[in-house]
Amino acid sequence: MKKQFKISLLVFVTVIFSVIFYYSLKANNKNNPNIMLNKPLPVIELTSLVNTNLKQELPLINRDKYYLINIWSSWCVPCREEHPILMKLKDKIKIYGINYKDKETNATSFLNELGNPFYFTGSDKNGSVSIEIGAYGIPETYVVNSQGLIIFKHVGPLNKKIYLRISEIIK
Amino acid sequence: MRNIFLIILFVFLIPTQPAMASAEREINIYKNIRCLVCQGQSLNDSNSDFAIDLKKVIKKKIINKESDREIYKYLTERYGDWILFAPPLKKNTLLLWALPLLFALIGGIFILRKGLIFDQKQ
Repeated sequence: MKKQFKISLLVFVTVIFSVIFYYSLKANNKNNPNIMLNKPLPVIELTSLVNTNLKQELPLINRDKYYLINIWSSWCVPCREEHPILMKLKDKIKIYGINYKDKETNATSFLNELGNPFYFTGSDKNGSVSIEIGAYGIPETYVVNSQGLIIFKHVGPLNKKIYLRISEIIK
Repeated sequence: MRNIFLIILFVFLIPTQPAMASAEREINIYKNIRCLVCQGQSLNDSNSDFAIDLKKVIKKKIINKESDREIYKYLTERYGDWILFAPPLKKNTLLLWALPLLFALIGGIFILRKGLIFDQKQ
């Protein structure tokens, strides 16, 4: 009887552990870049890339229905890759650019060469503004609504599929 | 002479104590934060751009006298619990924290019982 109890206990513990391990292996315990999704955009103050006296505070409440924030740099190859898409998007939505750890001359020649899709470009010389909004790499793109909520976030270069998705959201 | 020496020692030691404690605290926080762009490295071990920037932000918060809890809250709000090496005690991490205690308890009872049986046999 005692032996039977021990075997049952062993089987019970094994089953419990198998279930725990199975679900733990299946669970997505990696970094979730969408943690800021549907949360308010933290308050940030952007200083203009070309004129340090010019500031822009975000989020803008009840101003535009949607606006887009894009973190970019002239030294970032994927940023160059996504630039034509930003140029297409600028006619549909206001784009606020955050120029990440860049030199002003390099950033302006990048925009002169490829076109300027940004309504306002702020400079993030030490990367603190990007951290404030939960970014960890560039390029990163956010769509914010009139209530200041981040309703879409994309890590990495924009592509045709993402362009269509953003267009659908802001329609 | 001995008193003068003690006073000098006191004067030099006192201001360094908080600074040392603050540096230690800073490193302890870095050790508990995952560098999100590195493979399994803590902020303390990493020299990536992201780690350097985040260290500056944390240092600023320490200077502004923010508590560890406030700093971790700031980070988890932006990057999720994944950024912490030691996950906080929450409903979905309860098992993670409770299982070792449960094992220690079961093991303790088992050892105690075995000990009692051994004593009775003797």
